[in-house]
Amino acid sequence: MTSPMRRGVPIVAACFGAMVVAVVASPFIGSTSLGFSRVFSTTIPFADNVDAQIFFVARLPRALAAALVGGTLAAAGVVFQGLLRNPLATPYTLGVSAGASLGAMVAITFGSAWAIGGVATASLAGAFLAVAIVYALAAARHRGLSTTVMLLAGVTLNAFFSALILFVQYVSDFAQTYRALRWLMGDLDVASYEPILYALPLVGVAFAGFAWLARPLNLMSAGIDAAATRGVEVERVQRGAFFAASLATGAAVSVGGPIGFVGIIVPHLVRLLVGADHRLVLPASTFFGAAFLVACDALARTVIAPIELPVGIITAVIGGPFFLWLLITRR
Amino acid sequence: MAINHATVVGPKVRGLFLAFVLVVGVNLAGRTLEPPDLRTLGPSRIISLVPAVTEMLFAIGAGNEVVGVSSYDTFPPEVTSKARVGALIDPDVERILSLKPDLVVVYNSQTELMTRLDRVRIPTFRYEHAGLADITSTIRSLGQRLERGAQAEAVASRIERDLEAIRRSVAGKRRPRIALLFEREPGTLRNIYASGGIGFMHDMLETAGGEDVFADIKRQSVQATAELLLTRAPDIIIEVHTFDRWPEDRIARERAVWKALPSLPAVRSGRIYLLQDERLAIPGPRVAEAVKLLADILHPAGQPDYQANSRAILAGTSPLSKDSVKKRSSAALPRLP
Amino acid sequence: MLLSAADLHFRYPRSSKHTTAADAEVIAGVSLDVAAGEAVGILGPNGSGKTTLLRLLSGSARPLAGRVRLGDADVLTFSRRAIARRIAVVPQETSLAFDYTVLEIVLMGRYPHLGTFEVEGARDLAIAMAALESTGTAAFAERPFRTLSGGEKQRVVIAAALAQLDSGKGSRVSFSEEKIPGLESALLVLDEPTASLDLKYQFEIGALLRRIHDERGITVLLSTHDLRFAAALCNRIVLLSQGRVLAQGSPAEVLTPALVGRLFDVDPELAAPILAAAGVRR
Repeated sequence: MTSPMRRGVPIVAACFGAMVVAVVASPFIGSTSLGFSRVFSTTIPFADNVDAQIFFVARLPRALAAALVGGTLAAAGVVFQGLLRNPLATPYTLGVSAGASLGAMVAITFGSAWAIGGVATASLAGAFLAVAIVYALAAARHRGLSTTVMLLAGVTLNAFFSALILFVQYVSDFAQTYRALRWLMGDLDVASYEPILYALPLVGVAFAGFAWLARPLNLMSAGIDAAATRGVEVERVQRGAFFAASLATGAAVSVGGPIGFVGIIVPHLVRLLVGADHRLVLPASTFFGAAFLVACDALARTVIAPIELPVGIITAVIGGPFFLWLLITRR
Repeated sequence: MAINHATVVGPKVRGLFLAFVLVVGVNLAGRTLEPPDLRTLGPSRIISLVPAVTEMLFAIGAGNEVVGVSSYDTFPPEVTSKARVGALIDPDVERILSLKPDLVVVYNSQTELMTRLDRVRIPTFRYEHAGLADITSTIRSLGQRLERGAQAEAVASRIERDLEAIRRSVAGKRRPRIALLFEREPGTLRNIYASGGIGFMHDMLETAGGEDVFADIKRQSVQATAELLLTRAPDIIIEVHTFDRWPEDRIARERAVWKALPSLPAVRSGRIYLLQDERLAIPGPRVAEAVKLLADILHPAGQPDYQANSRAILAGTSPLSKDSVKKRSSAALPRLP
Repeated sequence: MLLSAADLHFRYPRSSKHTTAADAEVIAGVSLDVAAGEAVGILGPNGSGKTTLLRLLSGSARPLAGRVRLGDADVLTFSRRAIARRIAVVPQETSLAFDYTVLEIVLMGRYPHLGTFEVEGARDLAIAMAALESTGTAAFAERPFRTLSGGEKQRVVIAAALAQLDSGKGSRVSFSEEKIPGLESALLVLDEPTASLDLKYQFEIGALLRRIHDERGITVLLSTHDLRFAAALCNRIVLLSQGRVLAQGSPAEVLTPALVGRLFDVDPELAAPILAAAGVRR
């Protein structure tokens, strides 16, 4: 007899395969058809090769960004759900994306004088601010972290920052408001590898944390006290989960904006496939989430070509009904 | 009957009644007797929430009647002394009412504001952002509304003549393919918004003798992704920066961002223009100047060699460098006779 | 002595959810010893502090005053992992946030014996299955935990506790295993094990615990407000009233109408027949 965990490994491998296929195939899909030989031709100089530029400058960074953002949001969703012991939690429940959005709004409205980093850096700063506030509130009275206070702080922060965002939009002009609204809908057209490279270290640190958290999160699902009596250092696990998942979410949102539904659809679907063991759910969700968002982005840029739909709309159109179905069929 | 009542209405009341009749009668007579004066016909206290229409008002000689302008108005210089009443999203209704206007120029989409003004019976002039031809028709209807039909006609015809002159001057020349961008996230090639196949920016491009690469997309604005730009391969990229006033090194850095797409003809030839000029974004009386500006960029006068001329422009040594463009934008409007 | 507590005092922090009236101490001077191989029951009405006392004794809470010794040293000096290898707690109820199977639950009990990234091996699996067998729940191994009845769930959680306490001779642990000096036996702690169960399952759990205690020599420490259950299972009972030990001793010594009447605030005359029915020998 094999351990239950080992039995789930083939599915995790299948999800990995799906991700690889998606990332490799997606740059070939688009409103303009590319000639395979032209793309990889070594005779035509790159500066003249339109097909190669479409592939390597426009589409490939986009596919990689989608994979990064989708995988990260899905994994962060899993960890937040484990931390809050609630399968309905999302990466945005605790206010991280509200902070990131506020940072982006401020940069778009007031920051035209800044030339470096700009919106991405500001949104990361906003995310960290939100995380700091929620953590300070939740850790104030207890030795560990109170999940109730965390939730309340997150909800309050979401509301408060949303009000601030509205205020910032009010004082901005037409173009800035449009840009801000567009950012909120999610945009993966990075057009360069820079945003991905900047986000990668942050995401790497977060995922190192996730690897360590996988098994303790299993034990935490029976309750903090039960986990403690089984040997889990619950305060450390809670802090680790909170910061790792918030870091991951902040990095993902700073690259592509607050794309919704990935952080909740994917963990749910994956649990249906592999069960509840976080050591399987985390990697499977990461790969599945990456593949999912790459597919959504490919859809977003082809469905009404040459105009593009914001990818957040695609995930919402898929995610909304799915979510409703979940709530209806849930016991 | 009458005799009985006469005793009730005393001499004091009768006197008052007589006075009343006299006052009203003289006033009514006075109105019809006074000579017609163009100044007092038509609205005398005008508020404009639309910068383009503000310029039109000044152009047709109604500048003195303007008592309030929007937060974004900058031209002509006289507007700095006028009261500010908000803009499209945030009109300051109280301020507007306190200025006691008899005409308010509003956007067609400001339905709540229009309802409130209708309720207190303040007339409104409704403006809709549209194509190039609508600029002159708006000027004419404004003129009619203000009883300044003659002045309006003069301004409108002048604009039409100027535009026609530009059309003639570029007729028959090869039309370069242009992307006209009004938004881009600084330092990156993200969040680029271009003028689409509808709207006055598109019309300006076409009048100036250019071919809009996004002409087939029937929207006022198009999100120009990297892929779309690579596919459409514009010969010229013009970025309109209405409010930014960047120093030279910043401009150079922002132009260098486009090197990420080296296959674009615009990048290869260096014909990327960052125009810091508001005239290109305001569909008002200076539109002919804006179109002339575009035409000069697209079809440099007398020099068929695009390469040399563009280098001159970009190096700032040609009369079409950004400094001289800036000077021209702050020039006063031609005064009407 | 396996576990010994001297003059414990405890009060919940003022702003926590366990606020008690007027800063009253929940545990107000409790001394208690548990010897290896005993089956000790803490008997008292609801609110007498039984759960809190168990938390203090198992090292889950820090007393305001007094010390709990595990073997030779203060229980709080050990890491949670080290304590978990010797003390397993079965809570009153278990509700899961996610849909684990029975086998996965029992395997979670092996956590303190495995390294951070170590996957359960064949021996861990064998230990888990043996634990399920001994609680009569082996047939449920692949079933989702939430589909079980109350009694079945309780037995599975007990199985997980047994798997947790099973040292599995020669377990390969990547970190240095802390030895708790003077600790020969394992301790199974149960908080109100029958509180939410039907009579049939109460009997089942009682019989199961008796078997575990008798056959495996595991020390049992439980809290309950069920007279009959305590009398049937425990060889020593501690009467806990409002945070203080009223009396402790064998069931015969301690379950008198007078003491029980005082403990539960009932007329001793009414208590006597209940005690007789519970089979307490006078």
